Amino acid sequence: MTAPAILPVRGPGDRFTALIWRQPRVLLALMLGPPLIWLGVVYLGALIALLWQSFYSIDEFSGLVVPEFTLKTYAELLRPQNFDIFLRTVSMAALVSLASGVLAFPIAYFAARHARGRWKAAFYLGVMLPLWSSYLVKVYAWKLILAKEGIVTWAAEATHTTAALEGLLALPAIGGNSLSTSYIGTFLVFVYVWMPYMILPMQAALERVPTSMLEAAADLGATRGQIFRTVILPLALPGIIAGSIFTFSLTLGDYIIPQIIGTSKTFIGMAVYQFQGTAGNVPLAAAFAMIPIVIMLIYLAIARRMGAFDAL
Amino acid sequence: MTLAVEFQKVSRHFGQVKAVDRVDLAIAEGAFFAMLGPSGSGKTTCLRLISGFETPTSGTIRIMGEDVSRTPPHLRNVNTVFQDYALFPHMNVRDNVAYGLMVKGVDKRSRLDRAEELLAQVKLAGYGDRKPGQLSGGQRQRVALARALINEPRVLLLDEPLGALDLKLREAMQDELKALQKRLGITFVFVTHDQNEALSMADSLAVFSEGRIAQIGTPADIYDRPATRFVADFVGSSNVLPPGLTRALGGPAAWASLRPEATRLSAAGPVTGTVTALRYQGAGTRVLLTLQGTDIAAFVPAGQPLPEPGSTIGIAFDPAALHVMEGA
Repeated sequence: MTAPAILPVRGPGDRFTALIWRQPRVLLALMLGPPLIWLGVVYLGALIALLWQSFYSIDEFSGLVVPEFTLKTYAELLRPQNFDIFLRTVSMAALVSLASGVLAFPIAYFAARHARGRWKAAFYLGVMLPLWSSYLVKVYAWKLILAKEGIVTWAAEATHTTAALEGLLALPAIGGNSLSTSYIGTFLVFVYVWMPYMILPMQAALERVPTSMLEAAADLGATRGQIFRTVILPLALPGIIAGSIFTFSLTLGDYIIPQIIGTSKTFIGMAVYQFQGTAGNVPLAAAFAMIPIVIMLIYLAIARRMGAFDAL
Repeated sequence: MTLAVEFQKVSRHFGQVKAVDRVDLAIAEGAFFAMLGPSGSGKTTCLRLISGFETPTSGTIRIMGEDVSRTPPHLRNVNTVFQDYALFPHMNVRDNVAYGLMVKGVDKRSRLDRAEELLAQVKLAGYGDRKPGQLSGGQRQRVALARALINEPRVLLLDEPLGALDLKLREAMQDELKALQKRLGITFVFVTHDQNEALSMADSLAVFSEGRIAQIGTPADIYDRPATRFVADFVGSSNVLPPGLTRALGGPAAWASLRPEATRLSAAGPVTGTVTALRYQGAGTRVLLTLQGTDIAAFVPAGQPLPEPGSTIGIAFDPAALHVMEGA
C-alpha cells in the first residue's frame, strides 16, 4: 500500500496549525490582541485620565476639584517654589544620565567586545545582581555608607583624605553636612541604582557593531579616538539614547531616594506623591506628572532629529 | 624590481594552532596576486598580516621594501576591501568613500569631490546620497572598492571579494577588477577559496595548505604542473594518479596528475574500468570512470560518441600530458 498524498488530521492541533498557515493574521491577532488591549485600555486610558485631570483645578476654599477645563493648574507650575522643583529634578536627572552614560560605556564596551564565556557570565551577573535585592534595602545601605559616621568618612580618615571629602562637602549648593544629606549623595545613589538600565541597552548596541567595521576604519587610517567618534559612538547612539531614557525618566519619577538621601528638598515624584495624597490636590499632581512625559517626548524628538536612530 | 609585499619566514601562531607557519612570499609590484586555499589554510591570516590586523609571531614583513612587521594598520599605506564590505551604515555612500580622507583631515570640499570621482570610476556616479542599506550587493562592493582606493594605497587587499555575489555578477566583476587593476597599476592581493576565480583573475597565485604555501606560480604552472597531490586535488579538476596506476598507464611509479581535457577514452587502454557517471558540461561531457579503484575523469568533446554508464572502457593520453609530481 502506498502512503496518501494528504496525511490524516490527528486532532485540533493540526486543524489550528492549518488555519494559521492559511491565515497568518490569526496568529498575529492572537499574540498581539491581549497586550494591545492592556496597553490601550489600562495604560493609555490611565494616561489620558491623568492628562484630563491636569486640566481641572482645585477650589482654594473648599479644597474640592472643580471639573471644568482650565489652564490654571499649569500656571501654578510656574510659581517659584514649583518651578524650583522642576529645575531641581530635571538637572538631577540630566546629570545622573550623563554620569551613568560615561561610567557605563567602558563596562558595556568591555562586555560587548572583549568578554567571552565566563567573563560574559560574570558581567551579566555583576550588572544584574544589584537588581535582585530590594530597592529600599539598597537605598538604606547607601544611607549608611554615606552617613557622617559611615564607611566613606572612615575610609577617608584611614587614607588621610578627609580634607578632600570636606572640601567636596564644603562646595556651595551641592555640598552639605555629610554625603548622605547633600545633593552629591542623592546623585551618587541615583547613578548607582539606575546604572544597569544604562549598561544593558548600551552593551546590546555595541555588540551589534561588527568588528570588521572598526577594522575598516583603522584600515583607512583612523586613530582610536577617530574610530570612537566617527564609528563606535554613532552606531552605539540608539543604545545610549535608550539607556538615557531609562535613567532620565526613572530619576524624574523617583520619590524615595531624594526623601531618604539628600537635602529632603522636593523632587517631582515627591511633589506628585504629596499633592495627590496629603494635599488632595489631584489636578496639580497630574500637572506635575505630565512634566516627565512632555520632557521625554521633546528629548526623543530632538534625538530623532539629530539622527540618533538612523543606524537602527 | 621592488617587491610590493615580502614575507620572510613569517609565522602567526594562535596558541597551539599554527595559522601561518614560516611562510616566504614575494609579490611583485603591480601584480594581481591570488592567495588560494581551503578555509583554515592560513590565506586570510596572511592577508591580515599584510593589512596589520595580525602581528607576526616571528619573521619579517616588508611592504615596498619597508619593514612593517610592527606597524599598526592605520599607519600602513595598504587598504582592504572587506568580505562583508564593512560599509558604515550611518553614513551615506559619499561620506563612506571619503572616510579615509576625512580622518586625514582633508577639507570637506576636496574630499567629497574626490569621493565623487572615485564613485564615477566604479560606475556609481549619482549614488552618493544613498545609504549603504539602499544598495544591492554588487553596488555595495563597488562602494567598498572606491572607499579602499581613496587613500591611493600601494597595495589593495581584497578578502573574498566576489564571494557574496551571484554567478553572473561575479563574472562581470572579475573582468572589471582586472581592468581597474590594470588602469591603476596598484598591486592587488586577493584571497579566495574559488579555484576558477584565482586562475582566471590572477597573474600569479599561492596555494595555501595548513598554514604553509604548497605552491606558488602562474595559473598555468599551478594548473598544468601541480607540485603536490594537495595542489592537484584542490586546484583542479585534475586527475590524481597513485604510483601504481601511473605505472600501469606507462609512466614511472610516482604520483602524477593528468588533466581530463588531455584524456581520451580508448576501448583498448592499458587499464580498463567501469564508467560510473556522465556529467554534461556544455562544450562536452565529463566521463567518470574507476580505474584500479581510483576515480578518473575524461573529457569527451560535444558530438563524439559517449559510453553508457556501467560499460567497461579504458583511457589514452599523450605521454607529455602526464605530469609527475615531486611532492607526495
